[in-house]
Amino acid sequence: MKKKLSFLFTLLMIFTLVLSACSSGGSSEKAGSDTSKENSKEENPVKDRGNEIIVGVSAEPQNWDPIDTFLLDWSTIATSVFEGLVDRTLDLELQPGLAESWEYLDDSTLQFKLRQGVTFHNGEPFNAEAVKFTFDRLLGPEGQKGPQYSNYNTIDKVEIVDEYTVNFKLNAKDPVLLTKLAGYGAVIVPPNYIKENGDDHFNNNPVGTGPFKMTGYKRDQEIVLEKNPNYWKEGLPKLDKVTFKVIPEASTRLAELQTGKIDIMKRVEVAQAKTIKDTSFLELKEIGSPTVFAIRFDTAKKPLDNKLVRQAINYAIDKDAIIKEILGGYGYPISTFQSELSFGNNPNLKPYSYDPEKAKELLNEAGVKEGTELDFFIPGNDGNFKEIAQVVSFYLEEVGLKVNIQTADGTTMNSDLIPNGNAGHMYRNGWGGWTLDFDNTAYQMYAEGEFWNPSFKDAKVEELLAAERSTVDQAEREKIFKELTEVLYELAPEVNLYQAVDLYAANKRVQNFQPPHEDRMRLEEVSVK
Amino acid sequence: MLAYVIRRLLHTVLVVFAISLLIFFSIRLTGDPVTVMFSAGEPTKEAIEQLRASLGLDEPLYVQYLIFIKGLLTFDFGESFRSGGPVIDLIMEKAGATLALAVGGMTVAILIAFPVGILSAVKRGTAVDIFGRIFSLMGISFPNFWLGIMLILIFSVNLQWLPSSGFDGFSSLILPSITLGMILSGILARLVRSSMLEVMNQQYVSTAKSKGISDWAVIIKHAFRNALLPTVTFIGLQFGALLGGTVIVEQIFAWPGIGRLIIDAINQRDYPVVQGGVIFLAVIMVVVNLIVDLSYSLIDPRIKAGGSGKA
Repeated sequence: MKKKLSFLFTLLMIFTLVLSACSSGGSSEKAGSDTSKENSKEENPVKDRGNEIIVGVSAEPQNWDPIDTFLLDWSTIATSVFEGLVDRTLDLELQPGLAESWEYLDDSTLQFKLRQGVTFHNGEPFNAEAVKFTFDRLLGPEGQKGPQYSNYNTIDKVEIVDEYTVNFKLNAKDPVLLTKLAGYGAVIVPPNYIKENGDDHFNNNPVGTGPFKMTGYKRDQEIVLEKNPNYWKEGLPKLDKVTFKVIPEASTRLAELQTGKIDIMKRVEVAQAKTIKDTSFLELKEIGSPTVFAIRFDTAKKPLDNKLVRQAINYAIDKDAIIKEILGGYGYPISTFQSELSFGNNPNLKPYSYDPEKAKELLNEAGVKEGTELDFFIPGNDGNFKEIAQVVSFYLEEVGLKVNIQTADGTTMNSDLIPNGNAGHMYRNGWGGWTLDFDNTAYQMYAEGEFWNPSFKDAKVEELLAAERSTVDQAEREKIFKELTEVLYELAPEVNLYQAVDLYAANKRVQNFQPPHEDRMRLEEVSVK
Repeated sequence: MLAYVIRRLLHTVLVVFAISLLIFFSIRLTGDPVTVMFSAGEPTKEAIEQLRASLGLDEPLYVQYLIFIKGLLTFDFGESFRSGGPVIDLIMEKAGATLALAVGGMTVAILIAFPVGILSAVKRGTAVDIFGRIFSLMGISFPNFWLGIMLILIFSVNLQWLPSSGFDGFSSLILPSITLGMILSGILARLVRSSMLEVMNQQYVSTAKSKGISDWAVIIKHAFRNALLPTVTFIGLQFGALLGGTVIVEQIFAWPGIGRLIIDAINQRDYPVVQGGVIFLAVIMVVVNLIVDLSYSLIDPRIKAGGSGKA
């Protein structure tokens, strides 16, 4: 029996060795010099693809109608197909899109002057009629069935002034309206096309005014975009064709990139960064995302109802070490629950420093006993965060607290446990902040009775939130946000951990590709070598 | 025979009913689809309630269930929350890809397991047998996500012989089929080996041998044929399981099949798709089981389908 076993082990070992030898070019950690020597011989596997690129993405939205979706996977692809009145540059500055200019005629009237000579992919003209149709649809029964509607319901109606001028009549002040219009629910859709073919057809065969038109769609497999020859921006787009391939598994996406089957890879994992950097014909690209991660406290639960305890926990955790060690440096420190990209970010606030002695003092002052237990809920499918939670638990143990890490399904956590106050004393919370304005985040995180805010309330915060919404004067709002962030910093309703950094990889044949901050790939300037 | 088939079909209806109850209520215990639909949008409370109402999720649970069952009776699985399209279309669109993968996996399993199992049995106790058994053990022990990624690294990245993902012709079927088939081949090889051994000890095999028929003729014609019965049963049962078990393989190889459809739908809490997909797979499992039971009597006429009361 013993003999058989040892034979078996030998065989297994040989097999493993063979496999690892075969795979080393791909992902194993070889000595640096060795790898670079190997790489100098590497040839770019993409040779004769012509003036087109293939992008590997992890998912697709299954539905292209802009009013039906709020998924980043939609925006990654459909940003090339549809355009809104207002647009953003790659650096997220608001800029004219299908509207050339806009102004508030009075508090409740926002006027847009539209761009002339723009046509949809089916040849239909873009004009005031199309804008009115788009918003009637978004705000009407069809739109009300979808997730986008509620973001635009401060628009009472859209009135046509002349063929290239529209007035938006508003029913309330909405300081974030312009930034929302630069989002993706309000992109302009073709009236005749939808009337003639119906919504279901439009779902699978979208038509917009963007630089590329969708010419092929195989659900869960690939999306083909071809150059819009009549695009209104002179000389753009530069590529003839872009194909998006849906490949859910990150390691498979990387394999496709290494073999030249794709040119750009979305959602590179931290663990894959080195392989990409070591491959001579690939480039790693990092970009700060608006998504931030925090450990939120349920302030209804003892001892977290005490501000001192919340501050103590903030001092007890070394966030810089977490970013450096676990995220491989791909993350930025934050002081409030918003990224530096967002309007309302206060650059003067510095994140709570790592100071375990101070933490102990504060806990002592608050009368928290040594060994007090805290339940910490994290989503089960996030491997990175599991490591972070373990480190956090270690840091808190150092100051005399005991953490029980509990895992739950991410969706269950977000849609059930957190809103109902059942996610323990503290829980992981990730937040996108899609409007890039602190308004949205601040309201939903700190206003009393909001869906994702089971227990936090503070009179001063409520007052500032109301004030910020009562004006469209950005300078005034900035001042209010400055105060709000200071109040929140002091109250410490969460431990703000880090701003996420998104990693992309690209074949070096791809020129001029800047990865987007917010998943919306803009490819019109991209070309190939 | 006919009575048996009818009884089994009624049985099937009961099973599907039980599954419908289970899947309907269990998926609803795990959170709300509406918040997931806003993944990047961070909706207000009002928006969440509004969308919930438009999807019919504000109705009492039993009403939702009755609507669902009523739909099932007319083969209407409802519409996907996510894509808005009919669930039945989504399933039919994916069924082909999953079926192709399951057949591919089964083919690989059989191609490996039969020779390995037979050789192991015939050369019992020799090096061939030991190798065969180690092989079976390895087949069973490999997690298929690991094997899949290894195969991609070897055959796609390093050798560049085969595509690593997609659903594009025969070549893209090879790696996923091997990944899926490997695990099954291990179990199957063991089964073939043990049933062969059992049969080879039977008197008729020695009788046949004593008549001077060549060894391999005896093995294939007499022993293997008789050893086939338990094997076929097993293959039949496993085929159903393979259909459901393609999930991970579909994920790794970006295979557009039902497994991926259901997993995505679970993550998005697309209730109608989860319900429809699971019930579809359940019906296939039950039907395959039925076919297996009926085919018993074809392979071995001594077994009468109705007689044993097997269900």
